[in-house]
Amino acid sequence: MNDFVELLNDLILSPSRKKKINLLKIFFCKSNLKDKGWAFCILTNRMDRKFLSVKELKELIIENSDEDLFRFSYDYVGDLAETISLLWRTNNEKNTKINLHEFMELFSSFDQKNKLKTKLKSFLDRSSENQRYAIIKILTGGLRVGVSNGLIKEALKLSGVREKSEIEEFWHGFKLPCTDLFEWLDGKELPKYINRKKLFNSFMLANNYNSNEFKTYKTDDYIAEFKWDGIRAQIIFSEDGKIFSRNGEDITNSFCDINTFIKGYFVVDGEIVVKKNNKVLSFNHLQKRIGRKNPSKKLIDDYPIHFIAYDILFYTNVDCRTLSLIERKKYLNRFINIYKFNNISTSSLIKFSSWDQLQNIKETSLNNHIEGVIIKKKTSLYKKGRVIEGWYKWKRNPFSVDFIIMYAQRGHGKRSSFYSDFTFGCWVDEQLTKLVPVGKAYSGYTNDELKSLDRWVRNNTVERFGPVRSLKPGLVVEVSFDNINYSSRHKSGVALRFPRFTRIRWDKPISEVCSLKYIKDLIN
Amino acid sequence: MRKTNINWLKKKREGLYCVPGNFFIDPVLPVEKALITHAHTDHARPNNKSIFSSKETIELMHLRYGESYCSDFQIARFDEKIKINDVTVQILPAGHIFGSIQFLINYKGYRLLISGDYKRTKDKTCLSYEPVKCDTFITEATFGLPIFNHPNDESEVKKLIKSIKANVNKTHLIGVYALGKCQRLITLLRNLGYDETIYLHGALTKISDFYSKNNIKLGNISNISECSRSEYANKLVLCPPSSLNDKWSQKFKNVVKGYASGWMRIRQRVKQKNIELPLILSDHADWGEILKTVNDVNPNEVLVTHGREEALVHYLTKKNFKSSALNLIGFEDENE
Repeated sequence: MNDFVELLNDLILSPSRKKKINLLKIFFCKSNLKDKGWAFCILTNRMDRKFLSVKELKELIIENSDEDLFRFSYDYVGDLAETISLLWRTNNEKNTKINLHEFMELFSSFDQKNKLKTKLKSFLDRSSENQRYAIIKILTGGLRVGVSNGLIKEALKLSGVREKSEIEEFWHGFKLPCTDLFEWLDGKELPKYINRKKLFNSFMLANNYNSNEFKTYKTDDYIAEFKWDGIRAQIIFSEDGKIFSRNGEDITNSFCDINTFIKGYFVVDGEIVVKKNNKVLSFNHLQKRIGRKNPSKKLIDDYPIHFIAYDILFYTNVDCRTLSLIERKKYLNRFINIYKFNNISTSSLIKFSSWDQLQNIKETSLNNHIEGVIIKKKTSLYKKGRVIEGWYKWKRNPFSVDFIIMYAQRGHGKRSSFYSDFTFGCWVDEQLTKLVPVGKAYSGYTNDELKSLDRWVRNNTVERFGPVRSLKPGLVVEVSFDNINYSSRHKSGVALRFPRFTRIRWDKPISEVCSLKYIKDLIN
Repeated sequence: MRKTNINWLKKKREGLYCVPGNFFIDPVLPVEKALITHAHTDHARPNNKSIFSSKETIELMHLRYGESYCSDFQIARFDEKIKINDVTVQILPAGHIFGSIQFLINYKGYRLLISGDYKRTKDKTCLSYEPVKCDTFITEATFGLPIFNHPNDESEVKKLIKSIKANVNKTHLIGVYALGKCQRLITLLRNLGYDETIYLHGALTKISDFYSKNNIKLGNISNISECSRSEYANKLVLCPPSSLNDKWSQKFKNVVKGYASGWMRIRQRVKQKNIELPLILSDHADWGEILKTVNDVNPNEVLVTHGREEALVHYLTKKNFKSSALNLIGFEDENE
């Protein structure tokens, strides 16, 4: 286990990608098969269960320490595992000697939470600080040690005989504890349980639109479609159909009103939205359906799902990914026409003859729920990730409004200890006497601006409520957001979509900030 | 709760003010008379009319500020009690850096102890902290959270020596505070047998020479500007923390960046600063040392200043000490 503990620590402190890949490579080389497998599962977050919830962990540390001291410490450190590993009180600290796979097998064997907790406590008691940190990270999942799947694929490629494209193709198929992955990497055959047709396929992604680049591009070489404000999904239509989210998570159950049962094999790429009375509704409506594993009949009726299909990866035995977009669109249309689903349609193409015209369409479209347009090269193949001369997203110009900063909270992870999470608001009415919070933003500023903001927060705190500082109204920020809707969940009655800072208006007086009425008028 | 707050201590714009003594302690703005605990720039500022501190602190202020260090000074000695207006003042070592002291102020039999910055870990570059019974204790709380439990300093410095041995072709660039941390790290390295020349950023040489002159042995130290670029590999270079990521540091191509500070306890801090080799080495008391000190000086009341006051106040109150935050401004929140 200590090699893995050290690996995690080294990964966190290694700034370069090359060094991280090298660390992983060394670890995979020197570890035994079982340890490698488990380490892989932990690093790629493919554990099939969450051993402990954040709430349970907090209970554990409060029992061991003190509720308030924990709260102060957590607020300061900004990482739960680290706070607990530093705060844990023990008289018996030494280095635990247990293999990673033994540890994982032991904890996987508990079916009762109480047993697991007792064992965890005894482990934390006799571990070093570094070990405690690793143990907690492993048991709660989500390591955040700066290791992407891409990086791990690189490391695996280096240590085995398989090509990266091959690794890519079967990446999602291997099951816990993934020892067979490493055997396969060494040249053995694929495990029998892996059925290529049940696996998630990596998505093609869009680059950001760049006006300079596009000046020289011919509009004839491209098609354009609306970018709907929903969630990206991949549907495998087969006798064992599946729906996958953008990161490959199985979301079939949440969207059971889409019929995926078909004799054959078709893989389609598109966007999930909520559509009622022939109208696509806002992302807020879709949110009611996200994460609900067994939606009730009422929920389904109130928020009916619609799938806007825009690409096809497999048409029975045809691997469409190797065909041009135009060819793929033909296959997609054929598929939709044959099966005539009531809640699946194809994405319609936008007619345009110049980039200026497309921009005009993008900005003036009356549909409130598009984020912009996607421009796709007609000859482009379907490839994983962001491909040059592939797809481009051209977002609508965001809304931009000046607000007043009202509250601040310390950030987590990279921004731990900085006041980086802000609640902003505007005047309740034209009297300019009372403020109402409108939204929260955590991004859009540079690192230097973050430091200045942090200093400003510390010097302008009026009151503290636990980790939240209430601030003297005095600082105006320009906030951009992609969309705005009515919301009963917020005090202001409105919800902003993806608000972020675009400018800090150190110079602007707060009396020039608008009132809530102006914000509400933006909705229409 | 046995006694009330002392009413003869005031918080003013210039800093903490002792009314019957008519002086300030570590003022942030120039004043008539200032008592200075130690020579770090957030405690010792220039242009005071008259300063009262240890000989070393006064000399360090002179070294740093030139003629603006003060117009008039008085050297405090450990063996005497000085009467200043209506109070008597006695000094005790604080163990923070060379020349750092605490002030024990006695007014009508009530004893106020101002610790300044302090630590309890042994440090060969300064006198060890000396506790004394008092009625009100003003403590710092730079590391006033139970998560701070500084590890053994030698084992941290061994990490550095190990890394130097393991990365023969690399330059080790370690961020240290110019006054105190720099010289303590060098002394620890020497004690562990590291006897190579240690190279210093220009901002560290003046103070290090001052230490050498005062018989704190630093061994062979040299300004990095005297080292040619071709010889950077395998050298140990100390610099101020701010230089770790600025233009100056870019001249070192193959480099391991380290930082010697109590903040290195927290991984996310280490990451934020792009540090590969964190050395947890602090000149401030950690949580355990603060509590030990409170017990040793056994006051009726504890006032907590710069740092993480809330947790300490909360804990001490729970332990039946009268305790509150002093909320002084002008002290660097996170410096060491």
